[in-house]
Amino acid sequence: MRYLLRRLGTLVPVAIGVATLTFAMIHLVPGDPVVAMLGETAAPADVAGLRHQLGLDRPIGEQYVDFLAGLMRGNLGESISYHRPVAGLIAERFPATLELTIAGLVVGVLVAFPLGIVSGANPGGPADLGAMGFAILGISIPHIYLGPLLMIVFSLDLRWFPLTGRGGLAHLVLPAVTLGTALAAVIARMLRQSLVVVRESDYMRTARSKGRGAMAALLIHGLRNAMTSVVTLVGLQAGALLTGALITEMIFSWPGIGRLLIGAIGARDYPLVEGCVLTFAFTYVVVNMATDLLYGIVDPRVRLE
Amino acid sequence: MKGMARNPSLTVGTAIVAMLLLVAALGPLAARSDPTAINLAESLARPGIGHPFGCDALGRDVFARVMYGARLSLGVSLSVVALSLVVGSLVGAIAGLAGGWIDETIMRAVDIVLAFPGILLAIALAAILGPGIVDLIVALSAMGWTTYARLVRGELLSLRERDYVQAAHVLGASPSRVVIRHLLPAVAGPMAVQATFGVGGIVAAEAALSFLGLGAMPPTPSWGNMLDAGRAFMLVAPYLTMAPGIAIGVTILGFNLLGDGLAQLAGTRS
Amino acid sequence: MGRGRRAVGVLMLWAAAIGCGRPAPPPSRYLQVDIETSPTATDPRFATDAVSSRINELIFDSLVKVDRNGRFVGDLAESIERPDDTHIIFHLKSGVRFSDGRELASRDVKFTYDSVRDPSSASPKRAGLEQLKSLETPDERTVVITTVRPYAPVMEMATYGIVPAGTPLPRKSIALAPPGTGAFRMTRYVRDDSVWLERNPYRPAGPEMPRGILFKIVPDPTVRALELAEGICDVAPNNIEAEVIPYLIARSDLVVNEAPGDTYQYLMFNFRNRDLSDLRVRRAIAYAIDRRAIADSFLRGTARIATGMIAPENWAYEGAVTTYDFNPAKSGQLLDEAGYRAGDDGMRDLKLIYKTTPEGGRLAEVIQAMLRRVGIRVEIRSNEWATFLSDLNSGNFDLASMRWIGINDPNHYYLVFDSRMTPPIGLNRGRYNNAAMDLLVEEGMRTIDPIRRRAIYAKVQQLAAEDLPYVSLWWLNNVTVLNREVAGFEPYPNGSLRSLASVRIVGRSGAETSQ
Repeated sequence: MRYLLRRLGTLVPVAIGVATLTFAMIHLVPGDPVVAMLGETAAPADVAGLRHQLGLDRPIGEQYVDFLAGLMRGNLGESISYHRPVAGLIAERFPATLELTIAGLVVGVLVAFPLGIVSGANPGGPADLGAMGFAILGISIPHIYLGPLLMIVFSLDLRWFPLTGRGGLAHLVLPAVTLGTALAAVIARMLRQSLVVVRESDYMRTARSKGRGAMAALLIHGLRNAMTSVVTLVGLQAGALLTGALITEMIFSWPGIGRLLIGAIGARDYPLVEGCVLTFAFTYVVVNMATDLLYGIVDPRVRLE
Repeated sequence: MKGMARNPSLTVGTAIVAMLLLVAALGPLAARSDPTAINLAESLARPGIGHPFGCDALGRDVFARVMYGARLSLGVSLSVVALSLVVGSLVGAIAGLAGGWIDETIMRAVDIVLAFPGILLAIALAAILGPGIVDLIVALSAMGWTTYARLVRGELLSLRERDYVQAAHVLGASPSRVVIRHLLPAVAGPMAVQATFGVGGIVAAEAALSFLGLGAMPPTPSWGNMLDAGRAFMLVAPYLTMAPGIAIGVTILGFNLLGDGLAQLAGTRS
Repeated sequence: MGRGRRAVGVLMLWAAAIGCGRPAPPPSRYLQVDIETSPTATDPRFATDAVSSRINELIFDSLVKVDRNGRFVGDLAESIERPDDTHIIFHLKSGVRFSDGRELASRDVKFTYDSVRDPSSASPKRAGLEQLKSLETPDERTVVITTVRPYAPVMEMATYGIVPAGTPLPRKSIALAPPGTGAFRMTRYVRDDSVWLERNPYRPAGPEMPRGILFKIVPDPTVRALELAEGICDVAPNNIEAEVIPYLIARSDLVVNEAPGDTYQYLMFNFRNRDLSDLRVRRAIAYAIDRRAIADSFLRGTARIATGMIAPENWAYEGAVTTYDFNPAKSGQLLDEAGYRAGDDGMRDLKLIYKTTPEGGRLAEVIQAMLRRVGIRVEIRSNEWATFLSDLNSGNFDLASMRWIGINDPNHYYLVFDSRMTPPIGLNRGRYNNAAMDLLVEEGMRTIDPIRRRAIYAKVQQLAAEDLPYVSLWWLNNVTVLNREVAGFEPYPNGSLRSLASVRIVGRSGAETSQ
């Protein structure tokens, strides 16, 4: 419990850090929300007027302090391009991103376990080569390529799944596979590694010399050992998974927070960009706290100081 | 030579990586045509004699571009891994050894970077720094160093508790000596695995950044920008994406096997 | 390999079990149009970009509109009178209703123009009304426009979409477009996702006409092609790669509609670069680009080589101008004559910028390769719109590869070439400064008589081709890929999708309703 409180305490500096980094980056990038909004033919006086109206003509330091103060009060501000509170927009779009990310995680784990076990049980064998070949393929295909590829095969040619958009489970499959493949590959490799280490251990040598039950023993011990690594890995990969979700959303017209963010960057909608990035960061931190807690459950030897 | 037989990953991995490096060094000789020479009459030409992998939308020889691309893609990947590894390890080691508030501050900084969506960092850096190879390496390293920092620190903390390190410490060995003698070999395995995976991730990330306008400057070919440029023609000219795709796959395979072999080597030594 | 393969097979089976059946069809009787980017404004008083205009034309009517031959014809105006050089009288049609049931009257027109002109609107379209002195409404059906001085392109002012009197400014309202008198009303708008239009209940529509239009924003070119192939998307205007179209047609029920267009592709020079301010260097660059080869192979013949900014369909078009056929030898000779010094490696350096799009990138690389042959090394910079615009306006470029979409009145020459129209006021981003050009374009703006005006713009076009503030590349054709079930689509040279209001859907069963 104390640990949890401590972790929650670290959330504040991380949130401020992310907010500051985002603020600095988006303001350093050339371009202007007002020009992006009014277009190329806008009169200079109108641009200046709107800048004033939105408070963009104030000193950058003052804007930053205002932004942080708002954040402290839990106010993310109002989107410039939507004319709506940022918090509401995010609340609307976040479930779709969460759904996609969880589905990607599920695909990753479901694919990784059989692959990892198959190759770890008999390293160097043909099954190992095949599974690891698949893993390498999974890592080497970027989302922007895998997404359309899956669409061509499973939607255009086979007609199994709808192409784009969010709907039932069928809509979820292709984006989830796009997102989960790289994760599956990474976890599978980690599992294989753990199993190989256990396999070479003295304990297993003894078990093997006794002959029967070696496979079961390997799986039980190997997987138990691997669980902590897998949980840690999921935490480490959470960032990659969220970034992947962003691109996957773009490809599959998935109405999540990633598309909201890309659109907001294009429009230089500062409050919305900041809100989206903070949501991503917050999700990441929460996932990592969760994996830390899981760590304790999976491996009771780990004490949470 | 006996070690070779027992460590096939290392053998095959080394062979593939050596071959890739050779291609990067000598590829321009193997490819007969200029990778940047356009020939509009051969736009999207199918693979055939003269163009084993076909031609891209501007009629440039895909084979020549893959060969030249090796130089850039491998160069960038290795530089990014090296830079991330050095920076990450240093930061991680400082955090792990110093402990206390220094550790706390560094790890919060790591958390902030990790929590920040990498793609936004790339977009922002692309716009602020402008395109170019050096900027690409900086942008990718800015995202990559944290993993190594965490890894090194984690290993340090867990190893510090181990008996032999405690013993060395009690015996009066200086911290740097402890690090070099005991901790570095222990970290080498996981680092090698991480670094080899890193190479693959970076080649893929380079493609994503090409998509955002950051990366190798045209007309310089990189596997990433080839993959990105070929994407629009996936339906009619899949060979445009397949050639760099296979190159990326082989690269990742080679480095992974090498990493496995290294991990095994480190394991048997310690 | 065996077990790995099996694992994949199992995954596929599992996936098939969930997927079961074909993708859901789009809502019945809705026509889906795939577009690449979101409209920036849904209120016609603010919309300036091409996507916004295309959608707005379906929702709003204006006093006059541009027909398929590029001429202004009455839209809400039943008849138009021009008593003298500074007055125009519009007589409104009767019985026209907004989609909320209100009947259109002259006060709506007045309100629309007043709210754009109000400085607090900050509308980007305010600048277009600078010459408007007053707009009077002597009665319910009459609108009188008075200009400050004789102003030839006055009809451009009459193309603003009309909103009902009292419509608040969009920044204080929701993102949906206000009601218009056009064929459709906007029922739903999710930025960066979709725009839903439904028929205006007060406008008659045939039974086979779609109940509405769904504009879906699909940024990925392959996904757009796949949506067409699967019959999800009905209309893809100018956004399918030329090379991909034959493939799609061969395997799906699609047709392609190709017609000449007036979208003008050009290369702009930055005159603040001293080398580029030398005419010989600009000509050298024009001679170095093989436009014929690009149009024939690379663009698959979907473009016409341009002689100037306005297309041959326009009444003011002048074809007898200086042209620059591909001639690298002459190009090199001109560069030497100009004394444009090369670096130690024999190359001269220029920076080319463009807005990030796949086709923009390929074009930039073609130009780069062609200029390299004459000893010019081009550094390519691609950026998304906001950054690109900021570079353009601050002059952070040597060459810019760009397009003008839908130029109607030749007064556009004033906006882009007059020396006073530099950013941030106008669109002369290359900072072109030629007193002869200034005189001509200002005279063209004041001259009402069409014959005299045509003669002036003939000179303008000759001067522009001679002096080369832009290198004219080509006019792009309008290439629309349509589902075979869509009948009656008629292309406009400016790419307008106005005819979507009257297309019919034939042979599609209207039974299912899924959304």
